[in-house]
Amino acid sequence: MNENKQNTTQQVPSLSGRAREGLALKICGMKYQDNIEQVAALQPDYLGFIFYKKTPRHFDTKIPDIPNSIKKTGVFVNEDLNTIIKKVNEFKLQAVQLHGEEAPYYCNMLRTTTLLSSPVEVIKVFSVKEGFNFDVLKEYEAVCDYFLFDTKGKLPGGNGYTFDWSLLNDYPSTKPFFLSGGIGLDQVEDIKKFKESKAAKYCYALDVNSKFETEPGLKKISILREFKNKLNNKEMQQYNVDEKGYYGEFGGAFIPEMLYPNVEELRQNYLKIMAEPDFQKEFDQLLKDYVGRPSPLYFAKRLSEKYNTKIYLKREDLNHTGAHKINNTIGQILMAKRLGKHRIIAETGAGQHGVATATVCALMGLECIVYMGEIDIARQAPNVARMKMLGAKVVPALSGSRTLKDATNEAIRDWINNPIDTHYIIGSAIGPHPYPDMVTRFQSVISEEIKWQLREHEGRENPDYVAACIGGGSNAAGTYYHFLHDEDVKIIAVEAAGLGVDSGESAATSVLGKEGIIHGCKTLLMQTQDGQITEPYSISAGLDYPGVGPMHAHLAKTGRAEFLSITDDEAMKAGLELCELEGIIPAIESSHALAIFKEKQFKPDDVVVMSLSGRGDKDLQNYIDYFKI
Amino acid sequence: MNRIQTKLQEDKKLLSIYFTAGYPNIDDTVKIIQDLEKNGVDMIEIGLPFSDPLADGPTIQDSSTKALKNGMTTELLFNQIKDIRASVKIPLIIMGYFNPMFQYGVEVFCKKCQDIGIDGLIIPDLPVDVYHEEYQAIFEKYNLANIFLITPQTSDERIKYIDSISNGFIYMVSSASTTGAKSGFGDEQTQYFKRIDDLNLKNPQIVGFGISNNDTFTQATKYAKGAIIGSAFVKHVTNKGVDTIDKFVASVLN
Ligand SMILES: Cc1ncc(COP(=O)(O)O)c(C=O)c1O
Repeated sequence: MNENKQNTTQQVPSLSGRAREGLALKICGMKYQDNIEQVAALQPDYLGFIFYKKTPRHFDTKIPDIPNSIKKTGVFVNEDLNTIIKKVNEFKLQAVQLHGEEAPYYCNMLRTTTLLSSPVEVIKVFSVKEGFNFDVLKEYEAVCDYFLFDTKGKLPGGNGYTFDWSLLNDYPSTKPFFLSGGIGLDQVEDIKKFKESKAAKYCYALDVNSKFETEPGLKKISILREFKNKLNNKEMQQYNVDEKGYYGEFGGAFIPEMLYPNVEELRQNYLKIMAEPDFQKEFDQLLKDYVGRPSPLYFAKRLSEKYNTKIYLKREDLNHTGAHKINNTIGQILMAKRLGKHRIIAETGAGQHGVATATVCALMGLECIVYMGEIDIARQAPNVARMKMLGAKVVPALSGSRTLKDATNEAIRDWINNPIDTHYIIGSAIGPHPYPDMVTRFQSVISEEIKWQLREHEGRENPDYVAACIGGGSNAAGTYYHFLHDEDVKIIAVEAAGLGVDSGESAATSVLGKEGIIHGCKTLLMQTQDGQITEPYSISAGLDYPGVGPMHAHLAKTGRAEFLSITDDEAMKAGLELCELEGIIPAIESSHALAIFKEKQFKPDDVVVMSLSGRGDKDLQNYIDYFKI
Repeated sequence: MNRIQTKLQEDKKLLSIYFTAGYPNIDDTVKIIQDLEKNGVDMIEIGLPFSDPLADGPTIQDSSTKALKNGMTTELLFNQIKDIRASVKIPLIIMGYFNPMFQYGVEVFCKKCQDIGIDGLIIPDLPVDVYHEEYQAIFEKYNLANIFLITPQTSDERIKYIDSISNGFIYMVSSASTTGAKSGFGDEQTQYFKRIDDLNLKNPQIVGFGISNNDTFTQATKYAKGAIIGSAFVKHVTNKGVDTIDKFVASVLN
């Protein structure tokens, strides 16, 4: 018995140690197998399973194998002691959370009973509101490991069910406690402030649940991750966008006043809309049923053998419409609908984004106009035909270099001329804030999946390298997103060198560009001495852009990402090599990324995850001409 | 008081003309400015051409592309007009996109403007808040008025904010459009002009976009202090060259 108690006490991390590291995290209300595994991958400190029958989050299945470092916690309400003991033994619970009117002796029995196969932490819950009498805690001090303070009452002032934490200023005990009740992403700043306050001296952990759900019991991984990262402050803001829309010195919204109402409307609403359970549900559902996600993470065995390293390909080429672009257009079309827009415009380079936009417009029955450079219309003919079949109007951009940059200009002009009913679906992580961030978030499903898929393959979430090609930077942003702040994951960005970086016919922005403003954001930009934007060149229409998204400009500037430039020739050869070694015909954009294995030596046990952003069907003519097939 | 403010005090409706520097020919800049003043134009917007003029329609896109092909640069423009104040008295404003100014160096650019006698700048893609936070002090140091655009979609609240940090006039874009896209005004525009007039802003408003002749000039200035003609003038010099500027101005004013 004594042994039990000692063990339990030992399990409790010393408070001061914790305080230095930050708060522990308990994620409660787990229900579904896959979801439990995904949440466990985030390595919270506790996972809660509710054994109380009268809740939609009632847990009645099996707990999958999860690391022992995550304490499985059973939540009970005035339950019969024997039942609890049975559950603890059956599910190997490491903690028990008591939500009813359990008396001190009852808690003590749990701590002292010999019927448990291994000891449990006992967490006693108290509902705190104005006028809460902290005296009741006294008799529980000796019989619990932790208190958990929750709230039921709705507070005026609109912050949902979060209670007024300053009530804890009067906390008379030294018992470490969990803070609970309505905690969500919106509370991160409040929590940080709270952590600095006197009331938080004995706060040990946060307990979260409903604010991170798509439906009761189903947790939204990306938001949990964001919450955890933000809370831990691991230089977290450094690579993400700040409140003003900047990544370091890059980003912002340099737009004519004519666009202000539209962009501002989007800025004010995008995060709110993306956080709506309805929105998430529809987005996830479409990605699954319509796009065909998750896209496989494929171990490219023969390619790996050839380059003597471990290469995984994230198969965005297998998405409906043949590239990653559809992840973003699904997200944005749902956004447009919620903003009440019924006319959709887009720019396109390779035609992949145009096709992805035309596709979702057909899906939703919305009018679609796609601007495309005259040159690109010629070199991506199959995609032009696809857009037309899907009911889109394809308008040639005749100005400037008649490629992606000019198509973007035309789309922006269209938006200026149609400010009320139109939404502009930008196809890359570029444009005025909030576009780079919004597009990145929609594409971040790529790295979200890589994490759990790599765990299945390699038993770990983080590869040694993530690599992607960069046009504007959307597939790259999605591939990097959840690794940005894990500095042990190295980031490789691949740009198109065209005929060679110094040839005058190139699109290697990080090498040739200087800080400047294009399409509404401050970023690295290829330009003349005089600030005129220069015309890039690449064999790949999707990489033929004189700028990069502001996030990537920041990654380049800070050295977080290594930038490599790949010529037309190198890319074409790498594309053909993938055909021959793996039976996959890649988009020429993706072939640029594939070419890095000739440029850069990886170690045999390095795990390199590469975004295979698109399939090569659209590029067949290019391949035929190049290789004289 | 700078030239713009003095001009705005005159008891008349003002005509301002935009042209693209370096177009149709690289050396037309000074002649165009002088002829415009001689023929009774009240204010001039000298367009510094940009490769990617987002807020402009095809006419000014074309004139900008050609001006750049002709060899126009920021430095060359400053050189061409360095002695302009010896012959020209009316307010001169440079209109251009932010990137060329940013590359030139905003402060150096502003200083150069002051040295030459430029009175203000119109930079459509420099947003109000960035200006306010990062550049207003520089503009004021060199006594340059920054002219902001408003559109029918701009909220009253935002218009008032823009008014509060403006020190010349407010550029009232007639309808939601790029330059040269629409011509003629309907009830909607008239109501918008009136709505803005009723706000009693401290800065007078000058209407731009969609003004091409005497008719539209008269309509636009019913509730506003003046009007700006851009694309129509650029079209005129495209078709008729720079020797009949007098005819163009006369056709607008009479
Ligand atoms: C297959 C494919 N990959 C990559 C890109 C480049 O775009 P981004 O850098 O936004 O991913 C494109 C653009 O059209 C594309 O079609």
